[in-house]
Amino acid sequence: MALSLTVNGEKRTLEVDGDTPLLWVIRDELGLKGTKFGCGAGLCGACTVHLDGQPVRSCSTPVDLASGKSVTTIEGLASRGDLHPLQKAWVEHGVPQCGYCQSGQIMSAAYLLKHNPAAEREDIVAALSGNLCRCGTYSKIIAAVESVASGESVDREGA
Amino acid sequence: MTLNRRDFLKVSAGTSGSLVFALALPGCSGIQTGYREEDGAWKPDAWLELTTDNKVYFTLARVEMGQGTYTGLTTLIAEELEVEPAAITPKFAPVASEYRNPLYKLQLTGGSTSIATSWMPLRQAGAEAREMLILAAARVWEVDHSECTAFEGHVRHPNGVDTLPYGKLVSLASSETVRHEVKLKPQSQWRYIGKARGRLDAGAKSTGTAEYGIDIELPGMVYAVVTRPPRYGARVKSFNGSDIQAMPGVLKVLEIERGVAIVAGKYWQARKAQQKLKVEWDNADALGLSTNDVFADYHKAADDDAGVRERDDGDFADAAAGAERVLEASYEQPYLAHATLEPMNATAWYRGDSMEVWAPTQAPDLGRIAAARVSDLSPDDITINTTFLGGGFGRRLTQDYIEEAAAVAYSVKTPVKVIWSREEDTRHDLYRPAMLHRMKASVSGGEVTGWHHQVVGPQILDWYVRNAAPAQYPWSPKFLYDTLGKVGLMAEGIATPKDISAIEGAIDYPYKVANVEVRHTHTDPGVPITWWRSVGYSHNGFAAETFMDELAHETGKDPYEFRRALIAHQPRHREVLDRVVAMSGWKAPAPSGRARGVALFQSFGTYVAQVVEASIENDGIHVHRVWCAVDCGQVVNPEIVRDQIEGGIIFGLTAALHGEITLQDGEVQQSNFHDYPLMRNYELPEIIVDIVDSDETPTGVGEPGVPPVIPALGNALFALTGERQRKLPLKAAASSL
Ligand code: FES
Ligand code: FES
Repeated sequence: MALSLTVNGEKRTLEVDGDTPLLWVIRDELGLKGTKFGCGAGLCGACTVHLDGQPVRSCSTPVDLASGKSVTTIEGLASRGDLHPLQKAWVEHGVPQCGYCQSGQIMSAAYLLKHNPAAEREDIVAALSGNLCRCGTYSKIIAAVESVASGESVDREGA
Repeated sequence: MTLNRRDFLKVSAGTSGSLVFALALPGCSGIQTGYREEDGAWKPDAWLELTTDNKVYFTLARVEMGQGTYTGLTTLIAEELEVEPAAITPKFAPVASEYRNPLYKLQLTGGSTSIATSWMPLRQAGAEAREMLILAAARVWEVDHSECTAFEGHVRHPNGVDTLPYGKLVSLASSETVRHEVKLKPQSQWRYIGKARGRLDAGAKSTGTAEYGIDIELPGMVYAVVTRPPRYGARVKSFNGSDIQAMPGVLKVLEIERGVAIVAGKYWQARKAQQKLKVEWDNADALGLSTNDVFADYHKAADDDAGVRERDDGDFADAAAGAERVLEASYEQPYLAHATLEPMNATAWYRGDSMEVWAPTQAPDLGRIAAARVSDLSPDDITINTTFLGGGFGRRLTQDYIEEAAAVAYSVKTPVKVIWSREEDTRHDLYRPAMLHRMKASVSGGEVTGWHHQVVGPQILDWYVRNAAPAQYPWSPKFLYDTLGKVGLMAEGIATPKDISAIEGAIDYPYKVANVEVRHTHTDPGVPITWWRSVGYSHNGFAAETFMDELAHETGKDPYEFRRALIAHQPRHREVLDRVVAMSGWKAPAPSGRARGVALFQSFGTYVAQVVEASIENDGIHVHRVWCAVDCGQVVNPEIVRDQIEGGIIFGLTAALHGEITLQDGEVQQSNFHDYPLMRNYELPEIIVDIVDSDETPTGVGEPGVPPVIPALGNALFALTGERQRKLPLKAAASSL
């Protein structure tokens, strides 16, 4: 079926089965590979994107639920070529190891800071506990989010 | 090239790595060096390429799976080349003999060997290229080369003012010959080694642009999923192929060696079709046992066969006979999955006379063998393109996922990507072996007089040799592949180095005890196994360091003092142990409701001591703090060392708290992160890492953080509850088991 959605600010119309998880549409139909597949069951958070501003597990969201809505992926987090403060903090803190979980971590953190710009450690831990990291980068993730929460403002996000 | 019998499976010391398989034929070299006029690029060696437009490319022969080779190895070559690491573009290496890991004679990334094996060759390569550039500049300026210096991609004139960028010199430099001895920079002049911060791949990995295997996109690419037998070793008897073939998007349904593959235009179409697939399996050769059988068999094997004596200092039997007491304990450890966050996947494209494969692999040369097996091509016709790896931990040393993609590609003749679901990744893993350890110690007058460790379980080489042996002889005919594997195993310990994967960390028991005996009862239940972040050290560490704790308790000594007295003769062990005790405030009591445990363990040449502070709250184990002192010799990037040790601690705690793969009638019971949980953010303890300053040769850091944390936690729980847990994973209420 044909459906349309707005992805990172751009309207896209697609011919795709409505029960296809949003994840595979983003990755394979729209070619945005930054959103990752980890478990397909809402358990790891690697596939986290924002749907109308809410974080969702795109592996468990059928694309027809996203029809007519606005999706932001890791690729849409930077604005006008300027990295999101969280992305800058990730580089500054050297957070990623294998890096595979990090798009999802950043998307979860971006939602948190948008709604709670001065998030404290407990808020960060709670908001990110749905995102697994097999490499064990948790303490750097927390430190990077804390550095943004305590200092720079988070005022830009597409969704 | 003919096989020389003497070279066949030649001996190479097993050193510190757990991958001891090594054969020693010089492979056919494939990397062209020199200057290429067309694109103005100079390759002084197999690693570097400098261009006239001042670009520097570095071929990374050890894959990046999170452990930091991308940054660490680039730093080594940058230091001597005199180019800022960030100005170098790393490229993943193709398969070539130049890129083999000298310890294994295979192009492997594993065994925490990347920095150690690259430490000299990469710095030398950087230094030689630098000298050639200096010679070229000296010739241009007509000055003495020894008065010229290199800095940040330029050569500086003896006058201290004029400079020439490397790009202007590459063509000239390519014809220079270095006749003088090239000296490596002394430590005092290092600009990057030991000082570098951050990671060169952090930007790509924070913006979603780093390309992993699963991200490969090719023109006309299709997708495939594979249904594998629930019981290992079963074969396809029949399946409803025509039903599946008629489903939307399905292009082909085919039987391959490893199961039934469904090829479809889109991934989700293949998955949906798979739900309707009905396969009848021939279970004649299939695994049928359950976890309880594994351990019952291990105990029986241990009773029936004392095993091969792998270490024998003094005379344990004699010590035991004359001792006041002989203490005994046995420890059981389960199968463990790797659970890399990027599931197994590979993409292959068969073009009739060649095949190209894209895959996140730790062993591209074995990947070529895997692809050759299932096609009409020889390894030389197969190109393996390595991508970033979304975790490795030893899982991607085995190339079953490449074999599947190649088999499907050979049939469909269009680019095809095979992606495993998480459930498939968990159920069709090759596991960290389940192991049994039987420990005995003789004690007289409050002193330990004898130590006896019987390791019971399989060896990994038995499983690994299948593609590893042919990978060392890529020119051998394919009908010999399986023979090479068998010969490799027969020669093990005679013509090839011994596989110490089962006993590593047991044979090197470091404490000063007069009578030490270590035995291995080799028994293999037939459950697929492979290397796993610190493998043998992970289970031997738990057994040895828990039993040490039991002995401390039995002899009425403080667990630290007990170890300290027996390790006084080993300075590097002693130093990390003393440090961790000082850092953790071991001598002061733990906060109320909490207790601490300590463990000391060396692996991969690196010394690690840890103290864990834990409590039991709301029926759960809470790990509050982990202190860790580490001596890994010279540090190339302190931040990455810290990250790796911390990651290893979390990996070990995940195993200690949650890790267990069980079998029921041959079927793996776990499937996804709900029943094979990984440690989450809210469980994270505070981790404090201290690195010893050292001038020793660098040693591995990817794995050594893992082994000690498991016994240290168990020892803390003993201190807390007075109950000793001899089985993993650890439980909050041991007595209720
Ligand atoms: S892939 Fe969606 S939560 Fe794991
Ligand atoms: S960085 Fe590897 S899974 Fe998080």
